[in-house]
Amino acid sequence: MSDPRPAVVGKRLAEVGRIVAFCSAKGGVGKTLCTVLSALQLARAGARVGLLDLDTQGASAHVFLGVTPRLPDEEKGILPLAVTEGLTLMGVAPFTGERGLALRGPDVSDAILELLAVTQWGKADFLLVDMPPGIGEEILDLSRLIPRLQALVVSTPSAVSVTVVERLLSVLREIRMTVPGVIANMVDGDAGPVRSLADRHGVPFVGEIPRDRAIERGVGSLEALRSSRAAAAARDALAALGWMPGAGGRAAGGRL
Amino acid sequence: MHEWALADAVVEATSSALAGKDPACLRGVTVQIGELQAIDREIFSFALETILAEKPYSPNLFHLETERASFLCSSCGKEWGLDDSPGLGASEKEAIHFLPEAAHAFMRCPSCASPDYRVQKGRGVKISGIELADRGGCT
Repeated sequence: MSDPRPAVVGKRLAEVGRIVAFCSAKGGVGKTLCTVLSALQLARAGARVGLLDLDTQGASAHVFLGVTPRLPDEEKGILPLAVTEGLTLMGVAPFTGERGLALRGPDVSDAILELLAVTQWGKADFLLVDMPPGIGEEILDLSRLIPRLQALVVSTPSAVSVTVVERLLSVLREIRMTVPGVIANMVDGDAGPVRSLADRHGVPFVGEIPRDRAIERGVGSLEALRSSRAAAAARDALAALGWMPGAGGRAAGGRL
Repeated sequence: MHEWALADAVVEATSSALAGKDPACLRGVTVQIGELQAIDREIFSFALETILAEKPYSPNLFHLETERASFLCSSCGKEWGLDDSPGLGASEKEAIHFLPEAAHAFMRCPSCASPDYRVQKGRGVKISGIELADRGGCT
């Protein structure tokens, strides 16, 4: 018995430029917010962006983006939901809505593989993947199925977060994943601990996103999210990474 | 035609299995269609034929079989089939059709109502066998 789905994952992503997983081994550090703000900023700058929410048990990117889950349209597969100009979204929420989805590890792997095998992203400059916390099925499966995947690591300056994220960085090195940078989130003072973490692992520190209490009021409103201080900081981080489209357009997401 | 993407996967996986071999080596491919995903066999077959028109393999070599779905509750040990899982609406069935793991959002163990169960068989599309000619260069 063999599974045919891995044979088409590369084909489905053939027209996608840079593929980036927003990772943190620690929960509650704002991975989803960083992913969503990055997607909005890139799309606003003219890039074509797909957002894949792989947090099967805590899917929330659609909540930030104000997208009401609905079954996707079909076209030789399934089409990600349109969010706004240049931004589309896929994940488990279009299928399960706001119901709880109790999945064990093998089911998580199956769901990830199914989404990768049947979603037609089309031409995109970026695919940003919102990862669940941890060092489990999601990152291991993705690294195997998408060898060119990169991991952008998110941590808050808290000692607890830095300690846990340190383990993730070690594993990412062991599985030979490219880490373009570490970003500090929910910064309410000194981002030094995250900067030091990046230095210890020889990875660029690409920016800090302030703790922005206005974000909670912006949930579900693209304009409120885009105009937040956090969004401006996310844009600076993307610029530091060299990913913001320039006047020439979309080369920033180009294949490595 | 969501089925197209899965038919495409079957063809690509078959092509990979035969990489470097004479296409005439292929004698047959058995594809199991899991009952849970409720793939439309007619659409799937049509997609296969369309995709294979550009490949050196005859659609007649691809045989579809249905695999009945079977579930095992991790909480109480109950085993059951899809017929014993009543109450699924059309949109829920369609969600499971697109993503079989969505079943865990809508179905519960008929004995203890637990959401913690395993799909033992009949989840989705699998290749259960690729038969090659019994001659040099094929096996």
